[in-house]
Amino acid sequence: MKALYEQNQSDVNEAKSDGRSDLIPTIKFRHCSLLRNRRCTVAYLYDRLLRIRALRWEYGSVLPNALRFHMSAEEMEWFNRYKKSLATYMRSLGGEEGLDVTQDMKPPKSLYIEVRCLRDYGEFEVDDGTSVVLKKNSQHFLPRWKCEQLIRQGILEHVLS
Amino acid sequence: MFVSDFRKEFYELVQSQRVLLFVASDVDALCACKILQALFHCDHVQYTLVPVSGWQELETAFLEHKEQFRYFILINCGANIDLLDILQPEEDTIFFVCDTHRPVNVVNVYNDTQIKLLIKQDDDLEVPAYDDIFRDEEEDEDHSGNESDGSEPSEKRTRLEEEVLEQTMKRRQRRAWEARRREILFDYEQYEYHGTSSAMVMFDLAWMMSKDLNDMLWWAIVGLTDQWVQDKITQMKYVTDVGILQRHVSRHNHRNEDEEHTLSVDCTRITFEYDLRLALYQHWSLYDSLCNTCYTASRFKLWSVHGQKRLQEFLADMGLPLKQVKQKFQSMDVSLKENLREMIEESANKFGMKDMRVQTFSIHFGFKHKFLASDVVFATMSLMESTEKDSSGTDNFTQALDSLSRSNLDKLYHGLELAKKQLRATQQTIASCLCTNLVISQGPFLYCSLMEGTPDVMLFSKPVSLSLLSRHLLKSFVYSTKNRRCKLLPLVMAAPLSVEQGTVTLVGIPPETDSSDRKNFFGRAFEKAAESTSSRTLHNHFDLSVIELKAEDRSKFLDALVSLLS
Repeated sequence: MKALYEQNQSDVNEAKSDGRSDLIPTIKFRHCSLLRNRRCTVAYLYDRLLRIRALRWEYGSVLPNALRFHMSAEEMEWFNRYKKSLATYMRSLGGEEGLDVTQDMKPPKSLYIEVRCLRDYGEFEVDDGTSVVLKKNSQHFLPRWKCEQLIRQGILEHVLS
Repeated sequence: MFVSDFRKEFYELVQSQRVLLFVASDVDALCACKILQALFHCDHVQYTLVPVSGWQELETAFLEHKEQFRYFILINCGANIDLLDILQPEEDTIFFVCDTHRPVNVVNVYNDTQIKLLIKQDDDLEVPAYDDIFRDEEEDEDHSGNESDGSEPSEKRTRLEEEVLEQTMKRRQRRAWEARRREILFDYEQYEYHGTSSAMVMFDLAWMMSKDLNDMLWWAIVGLTDQWVQDKITQMKYVTDVGILQRHVSRHNHRNEDEEHTLSVDCTRITFEYDLRLALYQHWSLYDSLCNTCYTASRFKLWSVHGQKRLQEFLADMGLPLKQVKQKFQSMDVSLKENLREMIEESANKFGMKDMRVQTFSIHFGFKHKFLASDVVFATMSLMESTEKDSSGTDNFTQALDSLSRSNLDKLYHGLELAKKQLRATQQTIASCLCTNLVISQGPFLYCSLMEGTPDVMLFSKPVSLSLLSRHLLKSFVYSTKNRRCKLLPLVMAAPLSVEQGTVTLVGIPPETDSSDRKNFFGRAFEKAAESTSSRTLHNHFDLSVIELKAEDRSKFLDALVSLLS
C-alpha cells in the first residue's frame, strides 16, 4: 500500500506542477485500490476483534497461552477492556451480587447432569472440595455449572437418556 | 453383613453422599446400573460410574478413586471373593455389594462394618454358621505364668502335668475343629451358582420407595431374561421370577385393556407373552431363526443332511411355503403370521420339542418398535462383546449401556445385526466341531479346542460369547452322540485369546441334565489344577469358571484337571 501511495503522491505532484492531466486516471485508479486495501484490512481486523470477543464467552476470563500467543498487544488490551466492561455490566444486574450471564447459554433442564468423559483429564474439583478423577469413558453425575466449561472444551459429553 | 432394610440402610445412607459405582460387564449388571442411575437422577445423588471387566481392573480403578470416595457400590462383582483382602481399603470405606455370584464369601458375610450385601436372604444361601468358621483367638500360651511361687515341688509337678494334659486336649480339639472347618468351607465353596438377578433387586428397591417406572420394570425384565439366556438360573427359579414381574407388569400396564382410556400408541407398553423360543425371530426371517437358535438346531441336528431334511419336513407339516419362511418376518403373509405360535408349537410337539414356547415379556412403543426381552438381551450382549476394531472394553460398555435407553434405538438395531452375526457364527462353529469330531472325551469331562484359523474365532475370545458357544455345543453334542456315558459329562472349551501372548481362554460348563441345578464346580477345579502344575493362569473374570491360560501349559493343566476330577 505504501508503494502505491508513494507512486500516487509523485504523480499528483507532477500533475499539479506540470499540468499533465493524463496522469489523473492513473492517480484515481491507484487511489481506489488504496481505498479497497484499506477496507479489506479493516474488515480483517474487525473480524479478529469479534472472534476475540467470542473467546471471552467460550473460555472465560483467562485465555490459554496458545491463543494469547497469536494476539497482538493492542488486541490483548482490547480484550482486557472488554472483559472489564462485561464484568461491570454483569455486576450491575441481579441485585447485589450480579449475575454471570456467560453460564447457562441454553435453558437448563435440571440441576445435575450426567456426563461422560471423552478424554483422560485427571482430577477435577467439585464444590465441596473433594475431587473426581476424570478418566476416559467414566460417567459422572455432577452439578451443571461445574461441567459447562469442560463440556465446551470437549472433555466431557452430556449424556441424554 | 446382609442388609435387611434396603431403603434405610442403603439408599438413605448414600443419598447425601457421593458414591462410586463399579459395574461388571454383563447385561444383568447393565440393567441394574440403569435402574440405580435413574433413582440417583431423581434424588440428585452425585455418582461416578466406572465399568470393570475383571478383578485386575477393579483393583486399579479402586486405587485410583479411593481417595475421593468413601462409599462404593459394586454391581455383579465382588461377592465371591474376600473384598477387604483384595482391595485393602481404609477403615471408614463402606462397600455395598449387589451381586448374583454365589457362594458369597464368608468374610463378606460376617464383616459387620465395611461390607454390606444387597442380597435377599431368602435366596438359598446356606451360609455356614459363624462359630463353625471363625474362632476368637484364645489365650493358650500363658500357662507358664500360672504357676505360683513357693509351692512344693511335687504339687508343682502334678499341676504341670495337668496343664500339659489340658494343652494337648485343647490342641486336639483345635485340630478337629480346623479339619471340620476346612470340610465345611470346601463344601460351601465348591460349587458356583447364581442368585436372583441384580436388576430385580434394584427394581425391588425402587418399588419399595414408590419410585418405580415402566422403564425400570423393563430393565428388570431384561436382567432376568439375561440370566435365563445364559443358563445361569434353573427353570423353576425363572418361572417364579417371571411370576413376580408379571404382577408388576399388570400393575403398570393395565390401561390398555379398557377401550375408552387406551394410551397413545407411542407410549411404552410392556406385555406378558407366551412366545416362541426362537432367537430374534421377529427381526429376522423365520427360517434363519430356526436354523440359528440352539434349541431347534440341536434337536433337529441341523449340522447333518438328515437334519436339514427334517427341518423341511417340519415346515411342510405346518404348511409354510419356503419362500415365505425365508423372507423377513415382518414381510411374511399376515394370514400365516396369525396363528403362527400355535401352529409351531403343535408341530414342534410332533417332532419332540415340547418347550417351544416360553414365558417372557415384550415391549412396544410406536408402530414399528416391538422387542422381546430376549431380543434386547442378545443385542446388548453382542454390543458389549463386539470385536470391531478400535473399540476398547469400556467403549463397548458405553455403547451397550446407551442401547438400553429408549432414545437410542439405532444402537439397539445395530446390536441386533451384530447378534445375528454372532448367532450364525456360533451355529457354524458348532456344526464344524461336530462334523469334524473335535469334541473328545478326556475321561471325566469332554474337551474341545478351537483352532487358530477357524472363521470368526475372534468373536469367541470374549468370556460370555465363549460360554454361550460352549453351552450350545454341549447341548448339540448330547443330541448327536450315541454314547450314553458321554451325555452326562461336563465340557471344557478352549479358544485362542491373543496370538502375540499365546494365551487361550478356557471355559468350564457343567453337565447337561434335565433338572440340573446349574452348579458349576470348574471354578475351584481350575484353581487347584493351576496350583498343582504351576501353570501360568489368570483368574481374572468375576465368573471363576472362565480363565486365561498360556497355550504351552495347556496339556499339563488338562492332565492335572483329569486327575483331579476322576
